[in-house]
Amino acid sequence: MMAFPKLLARNRLALGGLIVMGLVVVLALITPLLPLADPDVTNTANRFKRPFSEGALLGTDHLGRDLLSRLLWGTRLSLAVGFTAAIAAATLGAAIGIIAGYYGGRIDNIIMRGVDMLMAFPYILLALAIVAALGPGLMNALIAVAAVNIPFFARNIRGITVGIAHKEFIDAARLSGMTDARIILTEVLPNVVPVIVIAISTTIGWMILETAGLSFLGLGSQPPQADLGSMLGEARSALITNPHTSVVPGAMILIIVMAINLLGDGVRDALDPRLKSGALSRPMPTTMVKRTMPVPEAKAETLLALRGLKTQFQVKDRVYKAVGGVDLQVNPGECLGLIGESGSGKSVAALSIMGLVASPPGVITGGAVYYRGEDLIDAPYEKLRSLRGNRIAYIFQDPLATLHPLYTVGDQLIEAVRAHHPFNKTEARAHAIDLLKSVRIPNAEQRVDSYPHEMSGGMRQRVGIAMALANDPEIIIADEPTTALDVTVQAQILSLLDDLRRERGLAIIFITHDFGVVAQVCDRVAVMYAGRIVEEGPTRTILNAPAHPYTARLMACVPELGQGRRELAAIQGLPPVVDKMPKGCAFAERCNKASDACRQANIELVRHGANSLVRCISPETSALEASE
Amino acid sequence: MAGYILKRLISALPVLFGISIIVFVIMAMIPGDPATAILGSYATPENVEKLKRDLGLDKPMMQRYFIWLGNMLQGDFGRSFSLNRSVLDEVLDRFGATLILAGTSFVLCSILGIAAGVVSAARQYGLADRAITFAVLLGISIPSFFLGMMMILIFAVKLRWFPVSGMWPIYGARDLYALISHLTLPALSLAVVATGVIARLSRSAMLEVLRQDFIRTARAKGVHERSVIWRHALRAAMVSIIPVLGVQAGFVLSGAVYIEMVFQWPGVGRMLVDAILKRDILLVQGGVVFVAACYVIFNITVDVAQSLLDPRIKT
Repeated sequence: MMAFPKLLARNRLALGGLIVMGLVVVLALITPLLPLADPDVTNTANRFKRPFSEGALLGTDHLGRDLLSRLLWGTRLSLAVGFTAAIAAATLGAAIGIIAGYYGGRIDNIIMRGVDMLMAFPYILLALAIVAALGPGLMNALIAVAAVNIPFFARNIRGITVGIAHKEFIDAARLSGMTDARIILTEVLPNVVPVIVIAISTTIGWMILETAGLSFLGLGSQPPQADLGSMLGEARSALITNPHTSVVPGAMILIIVMAINLLGDGVRDALDPRLKSGALSRPMPTTMVKRTMPVPEAKAETLLALRGLKTQFQVKDRVYKAVGGVDLQVNPGECLGLIGESGSGKSVAALSIMGLVASPPGVITGGAVYYRGEDLIDAPYEKLRSLRGNRIAYIFQDPLATLHPLYTVGDQLIEAVRAHHPFNKTEARAHAIDLLKSVRIPNAEQRVDSYPHEMSGGMRQRVGIAMALANDPEIIIADEPTTALDVTVQAQILSLLDDLRRERGLAIIFITHDFGVVAQVCDRVAVMYAGRIVEEGPTRTILNAPAHPYTARLMACVPELGQGRRELAAIQGLPPVVDKMPKGCAFAERCNKASDACRQANIELVRHGANSLVRCISPETSALEASE
Repeated sequence: MAGYILKRLISALPVLFGISIIVFVIMAMIPGDPATAILGSYATPENVEKLKRDLGLDKPMMQRYFIWLGNMLQGDFGRSFSLNRSVLDEVLDRFGATLILAGTSFVLCSILGIAAGVVSAARQYGLADRAITFAVLLGISIPSFFLGMMMILIFAVKLRWFPVSGMWPIYGARDLYALISHLTLPALSLAVVATGVIARLSRSAMLEVLRQDFIRTARAKGVHERSVIWRHALRAAMVSIIPVLGVQAGFVLSGAVYIEMVFQWPGVGRMLVDAILKRDILLVQGGVVFVAACYVIFNITVDVAQSLLDPRIKT
């Protein structure tokens, strides 16, 4: 809350709005002190004087009254009416909303029914009906505009109050014997006030417009007194011959409302935490690339190779190094496991391959991804698009969120095929049904027309796999495809993936945090910690004799069936925050073998035994053991 | 589907009932009595008494409400004293003109607003986004009646592209061309504010959707970005845009009052303002109830459209 004025000041447009609004308000306040002509004195001899003529800076109206004077007095009146209406509507609306939200039950029900009824009316129509009953007049217009806005405030504030009324501190206040009235005034109200302020700041512009509108129709302020709306209404008959009499009050309304809206937007943005975190920015079609270091060469001819890949998240002034230089390679038909805790960077590394890391805030800052010798980082969008889902496909976790909820699975499969092949709809549909069959979905002919929400989690994941297979890719990147599923379904999905790999000669990068899954499907495994590979080797070697202390500890966390009462050793502490990486080994703080040497300098990933690599100066196994 | 529509229609009955009560209560708050208003302040007390009896004003409130409601249900909205004509006939005559104006505006603001919002979101912080954001700010800040007047000055008086006012030419054929040329300026003026509101909401709805996982899936499939935006993201965003369209339809329908005044459009809005100034209560009552009821029906259509678009809503 302290940072609020600062945030507002940083928003230049809002600041502009604030300055303009401040000027208008000051002008309106000092109007009686200014040496102006009487706004209501008519002088028909001087009617319709042009602006900038002598004695009348903005000219005169159809009765020869000084427009500048009328404008300022009118502004004063319009602002007073608008603000009063806003505060009246906010006070009454908030009172109703707090009572409904705080007491709940029947009171809430009856009040909200009434509010819904009022909101069923077209807004201005209700104001007209009220003015019709009360009769034309500025006061009545004010009442009408305030009244039609009460339901809006009541509904908003009720929502907030319902949330607060069930919090512990309210229960505590009740138990301590405070009366409802006191709880509302001392506990509920202070929490609701910021919401009321936002609601006022976003609606006051409307209220000024609406009162001006009623006056424009002749239902608001009555002659000779004039607010901006009635000035415009009176000027209408002379619109064509003397447009300045219309432009002057109209432009003033525009300026006031625009300043208020700018300010209101600024207030809302300053109070919305999502804008600060950048959570509302749109991810680009490909991840942003800003490589500063020289691009590493492709080593040997491989299917897919990551070389020193670095991906960061840049949020405001902080940099989170999610992937800090990763080397990996996959050969045709091979299944590579990528394992690590949540936040170790394994998903980000995998998404970087096809430029799918959300950007902003994601940026690839270094390294290369070679697909058949061709660097995909920095490849033009069209090149990446033609490979995505075609040669390299993804399977994601949680298919309920990753499938489009409003298209049938058939439509989504057909689209995947047609993104890369010129099939017509019938061919593509037949292909979609074949795909569903190939992932062993029963009744594929009927299932093709189902929506994702009509399927079970296991079925949805099969659809996800079918979608990845749509164009017969060479590489599938499976990002925790079984994490959201129960154990029996998980086993089915794993064996399905394994079969498909053998049938089609697919290469798979399998991302998981589960050693059981790795043991079942992977030929080789790489262990990631804090954005880097700490150990890599054949699955058997690593499972039997982990070399890096982190791998060993990670495996000790897994309970094994039939092993009796084995102690589960949770790893103490937390992984390092990736915007404050230590100089030496990232695991040193949690490692019980750590020495000073571990913390002093960067530790390289070195060969360990025949087929393994490890990033540790005192590995758990000797090189000889690792070679077995 | 038919069952769902029926269910929504039935659930609208209490709302319509509530609307009639609200209108009746508001009108019953009128200070002084309508009989005097009709006959003028020079009427003799006997005549006022007689008219009160004729109008049923001597009966208790409750009874008067049910008589009024019963009559309305039979299509009798009463008689307008200022026009000496059946209220329903007058409202029906006028409503067509309002519907043409508001309907055109609604189509305009929906299409323009959504398109602007989508483009703005797709090019977030780019030049197009900035331009649209500024235009939207201008649009929601300008009073529609002032905008209408400026449009008349520029496009009708100065450039002579369109007629200044009215719905039909005084002389000449009442054909589609004549209607369109008369309709263009008022429909645009009326659409501007709603376009701004819809554009804003569409932009934020799109930004919300573009961060969803299924958008990443679409990209991972190799779907072209154009399709990602206009097919995947917009379809999902429509779920939250459509309710806003419903609300904006209400604004356009009732905001037509101002535009009808500015452009001398022979619609319900102008009729209502005249009736208010002449204190022709039955005409106001009938007009308000009629338009509000139409709006309720329109909102049911919106709900049905929503259920067609989102298969997750149980119909």
